Amino acid sequence: MTEPIAPNEPAAPAPAVAAAPAIVPALAVEHVSRWYGNVVAVNDISFALGPGVTGLLGPNGAGKSTLLHMMAGLLQPSAGSVLVEGETAWRRPAMYSRIGIVPEREAVHSYLTGREFVLLNARLQGVADPAGATARAIATVELTDAADRAIGGYSKGMRQRAKLAGALVHEPTVLLLDEPFNGMDPRQRLHMMGLLREMAAAGKTILFSSHILEEVERLADAILVVHSGRLAAAGDFRSIRRLMTDRPHTFTVRSSDDRRLAAALLAEPSIFGVELVDGLVSIRTAQYGAFTRVLPRVARDAGITLYEVAPTDDSLESVFGYLVRR
Amino acid sequence: MTAFSALVGVTLRGLLNRRRIILMTLLAGIPVLLGLFVYLRGGRPDVDRVLGILIVQTVMPLVALVLGTAALGSEIEDGTAVYLLAKPVPRWQVALAKIVVAVLLTAALVVPSVILTGLLIGRGSSEAIGVTLAFAFGCFVGCTAYSSAFVALSAFTSRALVLGLAYVLLWEGSLGGLLKGTRFLSIRQATLGLVDAAGGEVGGEPLAVDISLVVLTSVIVGAFLLASWKLARFEVRGGD
Repeated sequence: MTEPIAPNEPAAPAPAVAAAPAIVPALAVEHVSRWYGNVVAVNDISFALGPGVTGLLGPNGAGKSTLLHMMAGLLQPSAGSVLVEGETAWRRPAMYSRIGIVPEREAVHSYLTGREFVLLNARLQGVADPAGATARAIATVELTDAADRAIGGYSKGMRQRAKLAGALVHEPTVLLLDEPFNGMDPRQRLHMMGLLREMAAAGKTILFSSHILEEVERLADAILVVHSGRLAAAGDFRSIRRLMTDRPHTFTVRSSDDRRLAAALLAEPSIFGVELVDGLVSIRTAQYGAFTRVLPRVARDAGITLYEVAPTDDSLESVFGYLVRR
Repeated sequence: MTAFSALVGVTLRGLLNRRRIILMTLLAGIPVLLGLFVYLRGGRPDVDRVLGILIVQTVMPLVALVLGTAALGSEIEDGTAVYLLAKPVPRWQVALAKIVVAVLLTAALVVPSVILTGLLIGRGSSEAIGVTLAFAFGCFVGCTAYSSAFVALSAFTSRALVLGLAYVLLWEGSLGGLLKGTRFLSIRQATLGLVDAAGGEVGGEPLAVDISLVVLTSVIVGAFLLASWKLARFEVRGGD
């Protein structure tokens, strides 16, 4: 399910869908920037989203929350515009009947019970049958047993589910979730992922932020990578995953004969640098995949024993940095 | 209407559920305790002085300040305001609900405090009853003005409590005693002007009743408009 994500092409939204020409994306971000004084938090980001689950991936402080807050109409873009179903999100409370928001901040009215909190959301949304809608939303997030306890006594995961129920109670078409899996145990995480997948299959547009690659990998059909306020990559998850994997890597290797290994490796086209440092071989390679095949072969042919192979720059931070520089 | 009553309900519960409402009740109870003490010692004739200093100058602004800034400001601070604001409800309704709750809760503490204290000190004499009722009326309007102003202030700044305290203590208190001109921008003076016109006999030179009414009305209407304006442009604080 590849939904239209068009990085930096706001003028022509949804080019991938062969349908009526005037398709309005559920959510469109057009050349949006936001700065605080001299600090640029979000820098000229454009994309459009349709139904499906999209992951907003980036390290902490990359600007994910700022971007989500602007999409939620809770922050004014310094430049550019955010459109929900074709209409601006800023200063238009009517659009909240179309979107549901799960903020990152944990605080919920702690003196309310889970049911009262969801009911409050239902009444503020003006749904036809607030009590019925509340019961359904609570059942959906599997919070029925704890629904009549005060939220103040909830675990982090229960709180997240109460917030989700509150965001779902009016059956929005767009769902924005800021780090929804924080503090959830693995079982709750799986359940929530299943839930979001079902809603996406039912045609909802879901955007969730995360700084954990594996979460995005398991849930998202499409991905937006944000780093230092810029959109580093956007599109189908698998192609971006490949980009992340097939970038230049540096490995350190300890072996029975470092010097001979270094010489043999230099003959390989996928290796473009070898260095002997502190009793280790430091190897730079263009491709992760090729390297993992080449190294064992070279070592075996030369009769060298490998003691240790370690990637040196596999942090998410360096992956993002690479994607931005690319 | 459902949305508005939901807003009123959650604000009321938020304010009633905390320790601060107990503290404010105790604060409003101090004049009553003093009144009881005076009553047991035989009563005093100057009901107006006691009510003026103790309630109009002290208890009323403080209760209004604490409840007014808590009604909206505490939700903005802890982030829960988002759940009320990210809804298809016009923001003026949110501002109005917060102001209505802050006003009614403040008045529910201050007005009974005025009546009980006045009756105890004046030992229920007909003259004391008249003065007490004048103060009760003036304080109800004063509560409305103070609470509205402090709700609006907390929509603009996270330091509403400190700024409000500075206004009450420095502007209305110290400066008000030194510079006569400040009384035109003083909720306290306007309240006293209203009390005086209602037959409360406050000392000094109270503001004329028409000026008092203009001041109080402008504060109440202005606070509502400013709070609505600011909430319509509400931006979350913090984030990355």
